[in-house]
Amino acid sequence: MYSGERKSIVYVLGLYLSSTLLLIVTLFTSYYFYEQDQLIHDEKEILKSYAAKVEEKLSLLHEENGEKLQYPRFEDFKSAIYDIDKNLIFSTLDEELKKLDNNFFTKNSKSYLISPLSPYYMGAAYIVVQKETKDINILSDLIYLAIIVMFITIITSFFLVNLVLRPIRENIKRLDNFIKDTTHELNTPITAILTNIETIDSSNCDEKTLRKLERIKIASLSISNLYEDLVYLLLNHKTSLQNVDLNLSQIVFQRVKYFANMANMKKIEFLLDIKNSVHFTADKQKMERLIDNILSNAIKYTNKATKIRITLDKRYLSIEDEGKGMSKEELEKIFTRYLRFDKTQGGFGLGYSIIKSITEEYDMKIDIDSKPNKGTKVTLTW
Amino acid sequence: MVKKAALFILFCTLLNASEFDKYCLNCHGGDFKFHVIMKKYTLKYSSEQRIKKAIFEYLKEPLSTKSILPSEYIQRFGIKEKSSLDDETLKRMIDIYYERFSFQSKLY
Repeated sequence: MYSGERKSIVYVLGLYLSSTLLLIVTLFTSYYFYEQDQLIHDEKEILKSYAAKVEEKLSLLHEENGEKLQYPRFEDFKSAIYDIDKNLIFSTLDEELKKLDNNFFTKNSKSYLISPLSPYYMGAAYIVVQKETKDINILSDLIYLAIIVMFITIITSFFLVNLVLRPIRENIKRLDNFIKDTTHELNTPITAILTNIETIDSSNCDEKTLRKLERIKIASLSISNLYEDLVYLLLNHKTSLQNVDLNLSQIVFQRVKYFANMANMKKIEFLLDIKNSVHFTADKQKMERLIDNILSNAIKYTNKATKIRITLDKRYLSIEDEGKGMSKEELEKIFTRYLRFDKTQGGFGLGYSIIKSITEEYDMKIDIDSKPNKGTKVTLTW
Repeated sequence: MVKKAALFILFCTLLNASEFDKYCLNCHGGDFKFHVIMKKYTLKYSSEQRIKKAIFEYLKEPLSTKSILPSEYIQRFGIKEKSSLDDETLKRMIDIYYERFSFQSKLY
């Protein structure tokens, strides 16, 4: 899995799942309310038929002439009658109703329907019928269904994301292989160039040739530096890890010396404030990679005839240039591999990716303070 | 004291009942007609308050438009005479009439 793949998968999955979840919630909510409306409609229809039964009985009772008249009672439901002024005439309901405003309502798991009556048999202007409410139990079923749908969606979306990312992954793999092969092929010629330059007897060369040789050396060092970066990445950061007690002060001095020629070419002056015997436990090669990358970036992006301040203390190392600096937007993307803000400079955009990887490995805090056209200050704290 | 009060209430009830017999039943005869009239009033006016008001207004000023009886009946037998009872007595008689013949008192 390449570095951005996990992030892409998370984004795509997040987007896909959240939109699916939204759709499911919308659909299920609509279905739930539809079912509820349907239930209310059914309840009303049943209660209406009950009210009709009461009306029929009342009309018959109205014609009777006995001294005592039995109010109609039913097994399935209960009822009450109210006069035109909403005074109770007779009731078999479980509880007395205080208001007769709504046509249909539910209370304490019971459904009520208030049906107007005319003519007023037995004086009743309103018939109230009451039945047990039919429970709507689809909510738990819907939740189970939603969980199943979400589970299926997660599986399908995972396959979908893999399908979408496959061509990108193949391209990245191809690119990695290409870099791997190129790197491998670079090693021998670079070593040969550097070794031969070092063995040239400079006393036999005129000044012009010496300058040319100096340029060749600097260019070879740049390629060598790039080669080291590529090796670090291609070996997946697992270059012989030997954490030992390092004298950082010495290493910083060595690396400054290593880049001295390159800095001279741009008339850059190093201002060193390096405390003696600063120690740090780490792998030497990795520390060199870390310092080299920060230094080479500073040299690459700083203006000609400027100064680079290097400060090493017990708990921090800072390298500050007077270069073109970076905008806020650029700073946010600085650790993205293969991303280069200035295409006029060489490199593959690997530097900050490597810096981040090493600082994370050794629990170092990295602060990058940069202002466009003023410079960049990189501080490592441990 | 309680005995006296009970006797007083019984006396008043009997007095009212005899008044009702005297002012109403004398002319209207048996209970059946009263039942029919109450049914008609109940069917049209529903509540106690409205029924009593309608009866009172009709008895005070009997008009065919106010009558609860069908127009054919009015045409055949004519409109009854205006009640000679004072308002208070008339209202008391209507109360007794409602109490005796309303549906509410019969339902169980």
